[in-house]
Amino acid sequence: MRARVRHEPAPGAALSAGRAPAPRRALAPCIALAAAVALALGAAPTPAQDFAAPEAPGAAPSPAAFLERALPAQHPSLAAEALVSHWYDVPGLTTRALALSAGWRTLRAAAGISRTGDPELGWSAAALALGVAGEGGGGALRAVVRRDAAPGALAVELGPGAGLEVGGGAWVDAGFGITLSASAPQVLVRGVGPPLARGLEIGALWVMDDLALRLARVSPRGGGGGAWHDATLALAAGPLTVWLGARDQPARGSLGLAARARALAVAGVVESHPLLGETVRLSIGLARLPEADLPP
Amino acid sequence: MLPAGPLALALALGAVCTASAAPGQALAPCSRIDRPIVAEVFYDATGDDTGHEFVELWNPGGAPASLAGLRLEAGDGAGPSRWTLRWTGGAADSIAARGRFVIGGALVEPPPDAQVSLDLQNGPDAVRLAWPDGVTEVVGYGTQAFAEYACGEPAADVPSGQSLARVPDASNRGANALDFRAWPPSPGRENLPDRDVALIPGTLALDPEQPAPDQGARLSGRVANRGATPLAAGEVTVIGAVASASGEDALFSHAIPVAIAAGDSAAFEVATRPLATGKRTLRVRLALAGDGSSADDRDSLRVRVGPGPLEITEIQFHPASGEAEWVEVRNRDAVSVDPADFTLADRGSARGVPDGGGGALAPESLAVLAQDRGALLARHPALDPGRIWEVSPWSALNNSDDSTGIADAVVLRESDGTPCERVSYSAGGVPAGVPIERRPGGWGPSSDPLGTPLSPPRALAPIAGRFQVTPRRVRAGVASARLAWSLPWPRARVAVEVYDLAGRRVLRALPETASTARGEREWHVEGLSPGLYLVALVARAEDGDGSLRETCAIRIEGAAP
Repeated sequence: MRARVRHEPAPGAALSAGRAPAPRRALAPCIALAAAVALALGAAPTPAQDFAAPEAPGAAPSPAAFLERALPAQHPSLAAEALVSHWYDVPGLTTRALALSAGWRTLRAAAGISRTGDPELGWSAAALALGVAGEGGGGALRAVVRRDAAPGALAVELGPGAGLEVGGGAWVDAGFGITLSASAPQVLVRGVGPPLARGLEIGALWVMDDLALRLARVSPRGGGGGAWHDATLALAAGPLTVWLGARDQPARGSLGLAARARALAVAGVVESHPLLGETVRLSIGLARLPEADLPP
Repeated sequence: MLPAGPLALALALGAVCTASAAPGQALAPCSRIDRPIVAEVFYDATGDDTGHEFVELWNPGGAPASLAGLRLEAGDGAGPSRWTLRWTGGAADSIAARGRFVIGGALVEPPPDAQVSLDLQNGPDAVRLAWPDGVTEVVGYGTQAFAEYACGEPAADVPSGQSLARVPDASNRGANALDFRAWPPSPGRENLPDRDVALIPGTLALDPEQPAPDQGARLSGRVANRGATPLAAGEVTVIGAVASASGEDALFSHAIPVAIAAGDSAAFEVATRPLATGKRTLRVRLALAGDGSSADDRDSLRVRVGPGPLEITEIQFHPASGEAEWVEVRNRDAVSVDPADFTLADRGSARGVPDGGGGALAPESLAVLAQDRGALLARHPALDPGRIWEVSPWSALNNSDDSTGIADAVVLRESDGTPCERVSYSAGGVPAGVPIERRPGGWGPSSDPLGTPLSPPRALAPIAGRFQVTPRRVRAGVASARLAWSLPWPRARVAVEVYDLAGRRVLRALPETASTARGEREWHVEGLSPGLYLVALVARAEDGDGSLRETCAIRIEGAAP
């Protein structure tokens, strides 16, 4: 059975065009699978903050996801996305963001702005990502500048309440439907410390027909503490995609649903934390996709 | 002149000591009435005996008696024939008719007629008078293994502080056990005067113990008829005064309205007028016409009117974290006070003395009196060691109420015994391990489950919602935040955990701890790098199935590492 493409698989090529795994790839399937599993073993969460979007495994990276993890989409597209995240059960802790992305040939770019939290704790962010991507892989750099809504008296080099983080990411098509990725969103951090310290995230995506499985491991920034594991399984059916996720530290699950009607895409995910409650993320986007990627 | 040798000694002893007579048979007297006799032996003073021991002789005759050549010997009942000389009467030593002669140590009051260190042993032992003419008199006490150490059955051993006294003074019934008994020491005075009223030591008490300045009090005590004859109602008058700079200010005069038989006692209670604020000494004396002994007629009581210089502000009577018991006090005086000048006790009589602190305590400052200073510092390492005193001996505080609803009392006194403060507490409704603290409305469980030693009591204001963290923005590494909760149950167990924005637990700000409905805790923000964190309160009812969780956000400010 051939995989039917509904979305561009992200960020690699295995699902992106619905093509069967190409035997021309250098890695044998068993080696690639073993590598993916090995990469995913460890421990740590998949952190996200300003541009955390509901992402189904195998779906094309949305503009927000590109900004968040510096993993560019394989195919160029013009897309816009608005999203909102309500964090756990904390009143007022909500992120609203708007992101745009575009591509030309192998060049990829995205920009976005976001606002999180109330006037006392909150902050605003602006992000930019630039990269290249093609059939066999891609890579990008990202930068986010933030400014606290109520800067304290802390003196930092970028001005009161201001912070900067710069990072990058890359992915490679390992063949046989497997895509390997790595993202280090905070390689360089200056000014006020970010709301969440994020370390290196390495992941593996395996797409076969309508199923997609993503495994990820995120190391803590600076090496302190343990890593997180994340596993997500998605099933696509027509314009709908549903996915289930699991994460450790502490163990928790998520349930997501995405739908696309031509250029319009909506998605939502609920993550349940055993103590902190639920985090809900919603997004709505418009995208001009390559012909092959349009839904039937 | 009696014959010499063992036979003569046997005859002499037989003349004065025939205590082994058959039941019902009249006993021969132990003492000769033609010469002075032993009236009192004080061999076991409270504490160190040295200088306090004495033997009192009484001359029952109508003519003076010479003591020249009289030997006073001490007998060691541990073995036979262990008599040692303690004193020998000189040519000038004599006793007037019906007079008394005291042989004793340098600390005997009034000074003895003959000063000597007697070094008498506690029973079973004996003293013996050996007259130049061979006549002897033996007074033995304690269970004796050898007949030579007593006349007839020996007297019972007496407790520390009591004399072995001949009561009445002329008793001569043929056995030490019949003639002598435990009695208050009365060197140089009658043991049993015809008329004698005594104020029983230690019975004076003021209720309330620490009256308010504008409040009267009731003084109570107990008097005993130590004379040989009964006292009629109204014969004994209790006279009270308060010591002042000019001497004494009369306080009351109260005639005891009941008759007191010989050997009996009676209680009295007198209302006093309000006393001036501060440390006062109440002096009480008894008046009785023909009182044979005035030495036992007086007593005094140190009292405090109004608050003392130290105030008890927090009590940890049931520690659950190994810090041992402790009591927090505050100097509410206008001048510095040294906690080492006070004693701490529970409802019992043992008083512990603070030691090891940093000297005088400034006005309004707090100090902690601890059972185990090291353990307290280990549990609360941020405390200033200079403000912690270890109290020894520590009187363990009770953890559960008695039938009166009181678990125990914490009693602070000045080192001279003047009351400073007494707090009687109930353990009812206090979660395990939680101290109690003084609040404007009274005593209650501490706002912090671990207590707030060296921190002032706080009035907990109501909070909006169930859980609050204030402030919401703190500087990394140097600041602290206050965790406050308000639960729907009177008693609960609470824990507070901190998560980062990705939901990963970073640290535990408060281990699961018993708490009351309203509680607070100072949280030193340590170990958190800059970022946004979620502080989660998890609480469950101690009785029942209720539980809740509440989350607040806090921003740790700091430059990126």
